[in-house]
Amino acid sequence: MKKLVTLLLCLSILLSAMIMPAMADELEGEIVFWHSFSQGPRLETIQKAADDFMAANPKVKITIETFSWGDFYTKWTTGFSSGNLPDMSSALPNHVVEMIDYDAIIPMDPLIDEIGRDRFNPAPLLEMTKDGVCYAVPLYSHAQVMWYRKDLLEKYDLEVPKTWDELKVAADTITKGENGEVYGCSVPFGIGDLMATRYLNFYVRSAGETLLTEDGKANITSQAAIDGIKYWVQMYKDNSPADSINFKVLDQATLYYQGKNAFDFNSGFQIGGVEANSPQLLDYIDCAPMPKLTVDSEILGNETSNIPMVIWKNSKNPQICEAFIKFLYQDDYYIPFLHSVPVGMLSAFVDTASNPAYLANEKVQKYQHAMEVISTTMQSGTAIGMEYGPKPQAGLLTSQNVIETMFQNIIINNVDVETAAQEAEDTLNELFETLN
Amino acid sequence: MQITNKDLRKKPDITGFLFILPAVLVLFLLLLYPVFTSVYYSFTSKHLVRPSYKFVGFDNYIKVLSDPNFYKAFMTNIKWTVYSLAGQLLVGFTAAMALHRIKKFKSFLRTILIIPWAFPSIVIALSWKWILNGVYGFVPIMLQKLGIVSEIPQFFSNPNLVFGTLVFVNIWFGSPLIMVNILSALQSVPEDQYEAAQIDGASAWQSFCSITVPHIRNVVGLLMVLRTIWIFNSFDIIFLLTGGGPANITTTLPIYAYNIGWGIKQLGRSSAITVLLLIFLLLVCALYFKLLNKWEKEFN
Repeated sequence: MKKLVTLLLCLSILLSAMIMPAMADELEGEIVFWHSFSQGPRLETIQKAADDFMAANPKVKITIETFSWGDFYTKWTTGFSSGNLPDMSSALPNHVVEMIDYDAIIPMDPLIDEIGRDRFNPAPLLEMTKDGVCYAVPLYSHAQVMWYRKDLLEKYDLEVPKTWDELKVAADTITKGENGEVYGCSVPFGIGDLMATRYLNFYVRSAGETLLTEDGKANITSQAAIDGIKYWVQMYKDNSPADSINFKVLDQATLYYQGKNAFDFNSGFQIGGVEANSPQLLDYIDCAPMPKLTVDSEILGNETSNIPMVIWKNSKNPQICEAFIKFLYQDDYYIPFLHSVPVGMLSAFVDTASNPAYLANEKVQKYQHAMEVISTTMQSGTAIGMEYGPKPQAGLLTSQNVIETMFQNIIINNVDVETAAQEAEDTLNELFETLN
Repeated sequence: MQITNKDLRKKPDITGFLFILPAVLVLFLLLLYPVFTSVYYSFTSKHLVRPSYKFVGFDNYIKVLSDPNFYKAFMTNIKWTVYSLAGQLLVGFTAAMALHRIKKFKSFLRTILIIPWAFPSIVIALSWKWILNGVYGFVPIMLQKLGIVSEIPQFFSNPNLVFGTLVFVNIWFGSPLIMVNILSALQSVPEDQYEAAQIDGASAWQSFCSITVPHIRNVVGLLMVLRTIWIFNSFDIIFLLTGGGPANITTTLPIYAYNIGWGIKQLGRSSAITVLLLIFLLLVCALYFKLLNKWEKEFN
């Protein structure tokens, strides 16, 4: 009898030892996920992934809340001071720098290693790394390229511009020829957005300069910046609707979507916009690399946006967040997510470009050239102001409308370009001091 | 022992105090707490995100008062308030007088005219932004097609038009409230006074000055106080239509305070601006109320 009891006891201990780890591995808890993918198909693919994850993990609840990027910034900054933050969220590269600065997010290196560090494009990882620690997982990337209308170039017997001067000539020709029906090249200077900063950055980067110096100071008075300011002011005066002085990103993009802008600078998101607004133009749009200073000059820099996901330090269930992120990267969910804005969101993984499931998409096939241009541009790009690594100053450079106000002052108040640039540089440097 | 009236007066009325306690608490939480917090933060280096901050004395006030943009925004704010208030009073008063006169469809017209006030400001701002858009806007294109202007007018980007455009939208939005209040005041004027004046041979203008104006003066005065505060503090319409631009032409103090508090996250400095704004508005209100008291005494 004694032997039997001992045997049963041993068996039960053995069984418990086998079952316990399985139980411990079972995820349990609730997480809140904030993201900014408010458009229909993107929202739906993320929701489907969350639903399937919850079905596979019945004790997990994922609550998704969506905000536009503008609202998202206000939401997380105020949420941080009041302690009202989610468990995980999407973010913009500049946000990540600020989040790291405020010690608000956790390192992601173990998760990146688990997914496969070699699979990720290296540049986005570097952009989110501080002191050797990576704080965000790249979700998708896109780069700014020059979009044009093939039919208009053909109509006016123009080549795709390769330099800024060629672009000016082509835009002038189209504006004149279309007599107000189509603008040659609209230039957006509206406050409340970063568009003027972005356009100036295009020109400055093509000259190998940067808007932020290596030591984090504003650099608006370099020769490249002065030339860039003059270039865009002239382009605005000659080829832009007057109202574009107030244009934000959507106003500017809408002009192209509706076929009223011949040249525009944007990512692959243009395709979806044109499809929704003017599907008859879908066969006439394409993109090319950013113009350069001269035909022979090298490509010295571009603007890339790498959209990552972060896990907040206050999360009570970071292991659920990590598991969900890993789940999201499975082909069954990640590829439909990328396909929800084909060519607009390019994969964070190196190997997706050769993945048959990804390439099977009709839009991806149709706009293969655009995808190649954007992918190539991504290799030489960074976020604005991040050319020397992640800096909190980059956030202020793009969010404070200093460069937008500078352009408006030059156009409306006839302020001299050099004076306006100096004032903008001083204002930015003064703002940077608030970071200390 | 008999309780005298004197004893009753001396005894504190606890029950009465308990009755008003919830209202006092709500008032404290919703009104006084934010005001005190703003005053407190205005003397600190409070940052929107960073948790730690320290007492900095009058530093924030010195920084604000030595910033030329503050004075520029203040003057824009004064202009914005004066023009908007004058326009709203003029339109509201005229509409109320007209509605008071007509006999048919009064209720229907009153309902129609109050519509702008009933809309949320986001709807109003976005609608006007679209109507007056310099590329697709219905009004600018129509003006050009009718030959009234040779080029499409740029209501939001032409520095000579943008401020006037904002004031126009604000007048359109605010006049109905003035109209409804003045209309109700007009309806309270006893008809027999007009009849007596008519018998005495008074002209319409004399009746208006001697009967109508004294009766509605207090209502108009109170409306002026309230509207001055609301217009001076208004943020949404300007923010949604122009964001304070172009080139800061339409930046008022609330927009300026927002840019400091939410833009560069200097909540302490932003609080100092709001405290200065509060002090200014209290002074204006004191002036108004003095005038209102004078009118009331004259009327009585």
